[in-house]
Amino acid sequence: MSTKTPSEDDILRPMHTFTKKYVLLFAIAALALGAFLVGWMYQLQQGMAVTGLSDWGSGGGVTWGLYIGAFIWWVGIAHGGIILSAAVRLLGMDRYMPVARLAEMLTLAGLSAAGFYIMVHMGRPDRMVTSIIGHYHITVNNSPLVWDVTVITAYFVLTATYLGLTLRYDIARLRDDLPSFAPNVGGKQLPDLLAPVYNVLTLGYTKAEDKVIDRMVWWVALAIIIMAPLLLHGGVIPWLFAVLPNYPGWFGGIQGPQFLTIALTSAISGVILLSYAFRRAYDWDHIITDDIFRGLLLWLGFFCLLFLWLQLQQLATGSFHPTTDHADATASKFSHPMYVGPMLMVLGVLVYIFAQTIRPSLFSKGRAIAAGLLVLTATLVEKTYFVLSGFWYPSFSIYDGSPGEYFPSAIELLSLVGTVGMVVLFFLVLSKLVPVVELHAVEHLRGDHGHGHEHDHESVDESAEQPEVEA
Amino acid sequence: MSTEDESFHPLGQEWENELETMLDDTEYDSDLGMQMAEDAMRVTKGELSEADFHEKYHDDVMEEFGVDDRPTEEAYEEAQKNAGGFAEMLKSVDSDGEESRRGMMKKMGAGAAFVGLGAFGASEGGSESEPNVAAAQEGDDTEQDVQWGMAIDLERCDGCLSCVEACAEENNLDRGVNWMYVLDYEDNGVDTSRNRLVRPCQHCTDAPCEKVCPTTARHTRDNDGLVLTDYDVCIGCRYCQVACPYGVNYFQWDEPDITTEDIEAQAQEEMGDHDHDSDVPHDHMSDERGRWVDSRAPRGVMSKCTMCPTRQDGGMGEDAVGTTACEDACPPDAIQFGNMFDDNSDPQTYADNPARGRALSDIDMSVPSADALEDDLDGADDDLESVLEASEDLDEEDLRIMKAIEIVTDDFGEGDDSHTEYEQNIVEAFDALEAHGLDLDSEEVLVGLDLADEPDEDEEFDGPDESAAQTVLVNEAGEPSSNFQLLQDMGTNPNIIYLGNEPGPQAEQVDGPVAYEDVEADLADGSSVPLADNRKEVLDEMTVGDAGVSL
Repeated sequence: MSTKTPSEDDILRPMHTFTKKYVLLFAIAALALGAFLVGWMYQLQQGMAVTGLSDWGSGGGVTWGLYIGAFIWWVGIAHGGIILSAAVRLLGMDRYMPVARLAEMLTLAGLSAAGFYIMVHMGRPDRMVTSIIGHYHITVNNSPLVWDVTVITAYFVLTATYLGLTLRYDIARLRDDLPSFAPNVGGKQLPDLLAPVYNVLTLGYTKAEDKVIDRMVWWVALAIIIMAPLLLHGGVIPWLFAVLPNYPGWFGGIQGPQFLTIALTSAISGVILLSYAFRRAYDWDHIITDDIFRGLLLWLGFFCLLFLWLQLQQLATGSFHPTTDHADATASKFSHPMYVGPMLMVLGVLVYIFAQTIRPSLFSKGRAIAAGLLVLTATLVEKTYFVLSGFWYPSFSIYDGSPGEYFPSAIELLSLVGTVGMVVLFFLVLSKLVPVVELHAVEHLRGDHGHGHEHDHESVDESAEQPEVEA
Repeated sequence: MSTEDESFHPLGQEWENELETMLDDTEYDSDLGMQMAEDAMRVTKGELSEADFHEKYHDDVMEEFGVDDRPTEEAYEEAQKNAGGFAEMLKSVDSDGEESRRGMMKKMGAGAAFVGLGAFGASEGGSESEPNVAAAQEGDDTEQDVQWGMAIDLERCDGCLSCVEACAEENNLDRGVNWMYVLDYEDNGVDTSRNRLVRPCQHCTDAPCEKVCPTTARHTRDNDGLVLTDYDVCIGCRYCQVACPYGVNYFQWDEPDITTEDIEAQAQEEMGDHDHDSDVPHDHMSDERGRWVDSRAPRGVMSKCTMCPTRQDGGMGEDAVGTTACEDACPPDAIQFGNMFDDNSDPQTYADNPARGRALSDIDMSVPSADALEDDLDGADDDLESVLEASEDLDEEDLRIMKAIEIVTDDFGEGDDSHTEYEQNIVEAFDALEAHGLDLDSEEVLVGLDLADEPDEDEEFDGPDESAAQTVLVNEAGEPSSNFQLLQDMGTNPNIIYLGNEPGPQAEQVDGPVAYEDVEADLADGSSVPLADNRKEVLDEMTVGDAGVSL
């Protein structure tokens, strides 16, 4: 661990630098998003026939594919991110405070990508408002899709509130050092365009509110910790599938916990990658320390174990003495590379993580990154397989066109690149505007309780010394 | 809702004030309106009798409006019999959220609005202290006495795909959009020629597609139970297709081949001649409610078998009501469409006694016309043997079946379903025979046709033997091995009854006697397009970067 002392300058650094690498990454991300937007426009112009989808059954295809798989994947990343952040606030896991805000931002970015996929997936996205809002009071009683839209919206609002509240403390204190943007257009000097943004964010701020905000954030964190597993990735998202009895691969109560483990593994992986990128870009070895990566990796291992355990439940019940439709669905899992591959990847990550807890010298940041990438790939592929396999092995499997054929079209594949680009852009822009590491974290690392702010939970020294997971 | 204010209205003082302001805006007496509204609320709660309510305000209403359009005592009595009374009418002015209250008020007119104010309370309220008000919310205020559905005799289907073709032509479907689909299958390796399934939409009473729809585009038509898609509302999320266990939905992945202009032009041409209900639009797309639910879907929304709402609404003439394109087109008469709520409808009578239904359908071609019989029988004797000998078109076997059908049928020849027409043909033939002097209910004839036992000497003749008649029909037409609804365990309550083999969980489709590609549909733009079995193969042409591989 570095001996450097974390400072305000450290967390302001992203806002005060402007490098060629930044420009290059920005250009690549923008290009990726732009390329997909062009593809989407083409899809809007031609119809959904440009995808590899078709009707299931006699139609010989699958009606949901990569778009929905990627939707679940992004929602998972989003939800896990905020759970991690809420755990920091609620359970006093201060060790992860330096990456808490990154996790919150990942939630907003992930939800945006997921919301975008809903639009991209629809035949008539132009009717989103009139048709859904207009009949909301009726459909909210029955339609799992409406539950999804409701909860995702609520989640977005909750997370944005949460982030907004915690940003006030930082912005109020760092205001003088935050960037300004006052371009000179055609010889005419415009006022600072960023100032209003900061002014709105800190509207009516006084130091007296810190304590109140602290309590509010605690309650919002509680709401998130309750909502995420019960309602979101352990609730309405899996219910899209789990409530339908005509697909043996989907139906049943196990999908709630199963989806939640997928969300948590992919979100922790996302936070690992993101933290590493920022640490490397801005020399934050002393802020996002190796210790954080070790801890995140351990949590990743724990959730990988849960993930595999719940998969095992499904394999066991689906193959011991299954009904005909269950037998087909489970047999496919044992043989299909889109299922076997991800399971082996997650198992490999699990083995590595447990090995490095026994023998710490096996840890390296490179391996942590590899573990994160493997898990993210595995969850994306597994979720896409999950969606497809429902249509491949329905209860009513009489049709010659079932299991249907599917390979994602170029536009569908481009959507992955595009949404990753979108999320990268989100961070590139946001990191230039507000600190992505919160001031609290810096104060905390310094053992500094100044600025009139008191933590009402355990002291820094205690929490820093206690590893919250025993090896 | 506040419990402390003094408002008579379950929505509270604020709402009451708003109502009063609205009334103030009209030229009519606000105080009278509020008083009537309050009393109307009492009617819904059962505190005031409806008759008293009428009595109390008749004079005031006459004075204010010059007319009292509210039901008169006689009309009220009538309404009471039919719909449960004025209180029910009040309650049934249910705000379903489609229209604002103000919009509704305007429609009702100021006079009716006085009463309507109370009624809105009835539908919007709902605290436990007001049981009638709460009950009004739950009540299903639409009387549904028709539920369209089908009985499909799988053992009569010969796999010719005429129904698939007729459906594509009627609805101008794209290639591979097989709202009606016919497939042969193998079950556990046993291939009998009768393993065949005819699969339109099941128009489920508890349709999962409707339940999951995030927009209400997929809906059940209140008056006749058809499950339809409102093409103007659907957002194309395809969740209905996902939730349907039967796989009957077809998404419109690209611009449809046939334009709405072509469909409308075709409709004008074909529907113009009919004596149709003038309320029904002439475009073969909008139904009687004005919602776009019929013919092929536009791009980006979901479609499926509709059971021909334009026909059911009378848009193709009275004769087409109670028919579908597939039913009309089926050469072996395997599809019986009709009202599932009516025990005497084609599908219900057919499902109830398939042997009778089959025999009736088969015999129809052989039933001689009354004129032909008269000509043939001219000068012949009136005993059974002579009649059969003299008649060219009537043999003993035919007559036995015709008589057996009559014996096993209640209300023979009565009703207006298509099978009743067959029965009427038989009635006419029987009348001609009776006119000639042959008593078809006599011992001589019935015993001669083996449709009654010959009585012992000390017994009286006890008329036709129904079980003998049924045996004759079963021997002639056969009986299906089973009678089932598809995937009954899914809890969908489908409105199609199948007669024949039920496919098991291991059933797998095999090639049928006629290939889809060998059948052509004539569409509204004048083109003749071969059907396609697999939609994906048609759609692959448009897929961007189709590598020809599958996961």
